[in-house]
Amino acid sequence: MAQFNLPKNSQLTEGKSWPAPDGAKNVQVFRIYRWNPDDGKNPRIDTYRVDRDDCGPMVLDALLWIKNKVDPTLVFRRSCREGICGSCAMNIEGQNALACTMGIDECRTPDNALPFLTRKDKDGAVRIYPLPHMPVLKDLVPDLTNFYAQHASIEPWLQTETPSPEKEWKQTPEDRARLDGLYECILCACCTTSCPSYWWNGDKFLGPAALLQAYRWLIDSRDENTGERLDALHDPFRLYRCHTIMNCANTCPKSLNPAKAIAEIKKMMIERTV
Amino acid sequence: MSQVDNRQNTALSMRTPRARVKGLGAAGHGAEHFWMQRVTGAANALLMLAFVVIIAKMAGRTYPEAVALVAHPLVAIILILAVVSVALHMRLGMQVVIEDYVHSHGLKYAALIANTFYAVAVAAACLYAIIRVSLGGLA
Repeated sequence: MAQFNLPKNSQLTEGKSWPAPDGAKNVQVFRIYRWNPDDGKNPRIDTYRVDRDDCGPMVLDALLWIKNKVDPTLVFRRSCREGICGSCAMNIEGQNALACTMGIDECRTPDNALPFLTRKDKDGAVRIYPLPHMPVLKDLVPDLTNFYAQHASIEPWLQTETPSPEKEWKQTPEDRARLDGLYECILCACCTTSCPSYWWNGDKFLGPAALLQAYRWLIDSRDENTGERLDALHDPFRLYRCHTIMNCANTCPKSLNPAKAIAEIKKMMIERTV
Repeated sequence: MSQVDNRQNTALSMRTPRARVKGLGAAGHGAEHFWMQRVTGAANALLMLAFVVIIAKMAGRTYPEAVALVAHPLVAIILILAVVSVALHMRLGMQVVIEDYVHSHGLKYAALIANTFYAVAVAAACLYAIIRVSLGGLA
């Protein structure tokens, strides 16, 4: 059966609790997942207290504040700090998001927001974990090898048989407009790692991010390999593990809708079958 | 029942990530399954409405009157269609659930076969009953 509980060596323990800085008046508590592959210990939750008056407004600002001023061993990915590189995707208060575009004030989960979860402590802390159900390399850094290989497997480039024109491949403004809402994906993996189908069958199901990109090339008016692309997706697992759960659309930090793109691929499949 | 670890395989492997993702290739089917589940779903919606009306009409009838109702050709045909459509829909839907959650190879194939057997057995029993009542002159 699918495994729903954590293996013994992945179960969380209570970690170190750092005090608030002297004289801090506006303190926000962060509870952050820590795991070090080298010390042989279980993952733990460390508690940090951030002086909001000394820190920027975003979750990434707080992580950098912690790393610079409290605990330099905290590991996370970050680069552009403006929501275009996708590096700082992580699970913040139960929602996959980019730390750089998620405001600290935004991410406090109201007490009634997760009625199906039992909260041990409603202390107003911000909980930060790595992206769900991915192998963890260290702290908040997941191993995205499989995710990137799946993106590569849909062959995300223009494929043509007609000899290339002297200048560019042309398309009408209307055909170009069909790529809006698709090309903006930054491959942060928020959607794919929020998908329960991907959690259970991520080895075979391509996941929302790869399928959104597959659709982006399926409907590109310049591409000549639409049929072959559909052939490669025509599989009970690669495409049809999507059960329209819609977590992908809910979580996308770029407000894209992978679920709709997948539904459109399913419509194309029906169109050529029925 | 032993649990099978369904997390991504992180064991040391010399296979490239691309090779692992491509796996055994696309099966080349799935659209028919998806389409049939929708078609039987739409059929179920209509047939269940009729089924509810038939059940409501049963209320307060004596046994011979109830048998006579089921023996009516239109009623019998609607019931037969409902049984076929529901059983097919049930088999298709349960197959997806099994594929989602059951990863142990032996258990998966056993569950898939049991699922088909169950749907066929339920449908056969229902159809036998409807035909027996319609044609058997039980009244």
